Amino acid sequence: MQILRETKLEGLRLAKKIGRAKVLEVLSKKGLVGRGGAGFPIAKKWETSLGVKAKERYVICNADEGEPGTFKDKFILKNNPETMIEGLLIAAYVLKAKRCFIYLRGEYDYLREELEEKISEILKKSKMKISIEIVRGAGAYICGEETAILQSIMGNRGNAMYKPPHPTVEGLWGKPTVINNVETLTCVPQALVYDDWNPDYRLFSISGDVCHPGVYEWELGVKMSTILDTVKPNGKLKAMAFGCFGGIMPVNKNLSVSQNTICKEGCQHGAFSIIFIGEKHNIVDICLSIAKFYTYESCGKCTPCREGTIRLVNLLKKIKSKKADKSDIKLLKEFAEHIQETSLCGLGRSCGNHILTSLKHFKKDYMGYLK
Amino acid sequence: MKDKILLNILQGVQDKEGYLSEKSLKEISKKYNIPISKLYSVATFYTMLKTEKQGKYVIELCGSPSCVLNKGRDIEKFLEKELKVEIGETSKDNLFSVYKTSCIGCCDEAPAMLINGEPYTKLTIKRVKEILGELRKNANT
Amino acid sequence: MKIILDGKKVEVDGEKTILEICRGQNIKIPTLCYHKNLFPEARCRLCLVELDGKLVTACSTKVKENSKIITSSKRILKARRRNMELMNPGADIGGLSDDFEAREIYEQVGLGNVRFKSIKNYLSELGAALVRDNNKCINCGRCVQVCEKIQAISAIDFASRAHDEHVTPYNEKHLSEIACIKCGQCLINCPVGAISERSHLKEVVKALNNPRKHVVAQTAPSIRAALGELFDMEPGTLVTGKMVTALRKCGFDKVFDVDLGADITIMEESAELLKRIEKGGPFPMITTCCPAWILMMEHFYPKLIPNMSTCKSPHEMLGMLIKTYYAEKAGIKPKDIVVVSVMPCVAKKFESTRPELNTEVDYVLTTRELGRLIKQKKIDFVNLEEQDFDPTLGIASGAGDIFGNAGGVMEAALRTGYEVATGKRLKKVEFDNLRDFAGIKTGSVKLGGKTIKYACANGGANIRKLLESKDKYHFIEMMVCPGGCVGGGGQPIYFDEDVLKLRSKALYEQDSKKELRRSHENPIVKEIYKKYLGKPLSKKAEKLLHTKYQRRERF
Repeated sequence: MQILRETKLEGLRLAKKIGRAKVLEVLSKKGLVGRGGAGFPIAKKWETSLGVKAKERYVICNADEGEPGTFKDKFILKNNPETMIEGLLIAAYVLKAKRCFIYLRGEYDYLREELEEKISEILKKSKMKISIEIVRGAGAYICGEETAILQSIMGNRGNAMYKPPHPTVEGLWGKPTVINNVETLTCVPQALVYDDWNPDYRLFSISGDVCHPGVYEWELGVKMSTILDTVKPNGKLKAMAFGCFGGIMPVNKNLSVSQNTICKEGCQHGAFSIIFIGEKHNIVDICLSIAKFYTYESCGKCTPCREGTIRLVNLLKKIKSKKADKSDIKLLKEFAEHIQETSLCGLGRSCGNHILTSLKHFKKDYMGYLK
Repeated sequence: MKDKILLNILQGVQDKEGYLSEKSLKEISKKYNIPISKLYSVATFYTMLKTEKQGKYVIELCGSPSCVLNKGRDIEKFLEKELKVEIGETSKDNLFSVYKTSCIGCCDEAPAMLINGEPYTKLTIKRVKEILGELRKNANT
Repeated sequence: MKIILDGKKVEVDGEKTILEICRGQNIKIPTLCYHKNLFPEARCRLCLVELDGKLVTACSTKVKENSKIITSSKRILKARRRNMELMNPGADIGGLSDDFEAREIYEQVGLGNVRFKSIKNYLSELGAALVRDNNKCINCGRCVQVCEKIQAISAIDFASRAHDEHVTPYNEKHLSEIACIKCGQCLINCPVGAISERSHLKEVVKALNNPRKHVVAQTAPSIRAALGELFDMEPGTLVTGKMVTALRKCGFDKVFDVDLGADITIMEESAELLKRIEKGGPFPMITTCCPAWILMMEHFYPKLIPNMSTCKSPHEMLGMLIKTYYAEKAGIKPKDIVVVSVMPCVAKKFESTRPELNTEVDYVLTTRELGRLIKQKKIDFVNLEEQDFDPTLGIASGAGDIFGNAGGVMEAALRTGYEVATGKRLKKVEFDNLRDFAGIKTGSVKLGGKTIKYACANGGANIRKLLESKDKYHFIEMMVCPGGCVGGGGQPIYFDEDVLKLRSKALYEQDSKKELRRSHENPIVKEIYKKYLGKPLSKKAEKLLHTKYQRRERF
């Protein structure tokens, strides 16, 4: 796998040799984009931050991967943390940051000690005078969102904030702050060191009703049949969910997996987490578990998300207990759309995707439950 | 408070004392000059921070769709029955507190749970029985 | 920059938010969480407008050159209504009194049918000063922000998350169990009445209906400058005479003026100051009229106890004199007298439960409660004739009147302190440096060869700031509510600081119109001292009019 290639501080050495501007040029040319889901070019993000005059600057490695069905950052943290840390050092060098943070989700706390050892080991080797602190997340999905992560590090509730100001311009304690996730930072030294580095490789987290769940690396546009041949469906498959937020769509063997093809079905690829759902399951049940996730993880700040997500859960419960009629389905759709339209952050703006896409593709499952 | 990370302070206290007692919150408030209402506010925002006394073993069962697809609900029901608790409660013998979390990132080894932060994966009822038995034994020695 | 607002080209300030722009153009945008003095958190999401085709919250969004904004469309109105519908179930709309902002906003947004059952199930708290009902709360967060940023107390904050998010003191305690100073600024900023005062109205009505009771009302200085607002009169209208008439019509046997209590406070306090100047301290001496400040001091600055004046607050002094001096004079048994204070303040309700005060004040009504009583009695307040206070304890100087303004106590004390200490007469009684609408005001005055430095702070955060440099001063006035008592937690709910300025101006006007502007020249004050108390700080005065303080926990 490309993501497991080690760079042994060669990337950092190279970066310092060619200088900041050149690093940005190379990363831009090589086409490295953020792997958190938005796909924003990393060089552009760094440039924006560098363009802001400031005495201090911070870099955050977002290791708060919390999207259900996603475990690829954990895979890197376990199998190639050195390269990720090197990526963080390169970021600190380019951005002239003296203080870096790794926001490690609380559920991965068991990886912390080893990571701390690796950090001090690599810092020593690098001879860079910067600090890398691990911030111990404590069970809040919203803190993967970049404004919430800032609040959390600053010692506040992890509430999402509106933008602007963007973190790159005004982040931690009002200073420019660059936030990149684990996979993105790991790619940084790899992209610098290896000529054959391929920007289109992505890590896929595959789980659900398959015989070989796990983390895989495929090129964008990979055929669904290739994926299925590798992970082997466990019985006949009915649907696939892109994590919780990406929506649910039927499994189509001929689909080539990329942003365009998935969005056409109303779904979002996000961090390429695919949960395969077998035929024996009713989609409403899956939707209920996803809806519960949102009503548990909403930060509570915006009215529609705070008060709306619980209503979606209650409506799905009503449907599941066969007490609902068509008007409830209408209400479910109405409010799924409404919450998405009027909430502030990505969580609220995607919390109805599973309902809207499943209503589009699997309406039969809903109708079967009506009284 | 720029030089200290509040989350790490709170986690550190919880590591030692099992939870964030009123007494601890007051001490932190004095030491770092943070209003206690804010400490409570932050502590209750994060589900892994506890402001009430916990059992010796804190079980966090994964509730992700991947775990649900792999019979995670059976594990949930079994835990509730076996420990005579509902999700969110602590068993009468003060050994187990049981919670459900959104996802612990063990989707490829579902169903899964964390016990005091350590992952236990590919759970079956038989395996959970064994794990609980083992923990009970450890607690008594 | 130029934008297109509802189809019209307008020139706007790009630094302003859409909401500010719209208000400037007289376009009504509903909101329940926005407050001019607070950080816009964009929580309620009622102020939705379309910006270039996207729904955004007007309170938190700025425009760009040529932005296209639509403030009203089917889509917008529907979205606002749905958010109102989602907020609504916890709130008891039918029971929402007119005082609260939400009532108007509900009507503006036009809530039709509510399709969801309430999911909130909180226990409410009944404290001596404040009542809290989270079932009504819409999580707008204003109370949290006011308590933290303006008052610097942080008694409350949000706890938990998602639909469990709620406002609470730490560890789900009650306000009465923690270091809450009962200022009621949370209440003043609550749009739905989830926090309200502990009402004494029922008890007062009962006393009024009891023929054996001699019920006496005494009204604080700032009531007369604000009560009219509850009857849709212009803010800043002085309604002293109508207020007295209304109280008589409500059935009060006597109506006395707390401004006289203020005059007596000045006599005692200025004597105390002069004594400390003679003795050389302890300085600074700090005023004690504000019961929320007393609580703040006891919880957070107990080391200041020796610095505090020992004077009771004006209504406690007058209450005591009503049941002693007045009872004797009128030949009524003290136990048959019921003293009702009308106060701009909810902390006064707590104050009246302090055992060390041996209080003779039986009930405390806020300005709002008095308004409710007048409405209950169906009195046409606006058209009432104007009557005078009962003269026995009803004549006050202009110095007493301005107690309702931040800086007023200091000004009144300086008028008397200066003249008593120097034997000279002030040519100009106004201290203009104390009349700014500022958080902290300072100055100095020469008394008997010594320069006395004084300072005043209003608003909890300003108090904390002033205390950092307290040792520079000899005499400090502290008022917890912004603007002083005119902005008190018991006053009519206001949405604009300008209202406070108008109330304040009205009190200064009342002062300037009077012949009698010095507490020590008040004939009633003179008589009380001559016939009853002796002189300021006499044994009797110490016993009846002074008090002590206690240390309290900082949490």
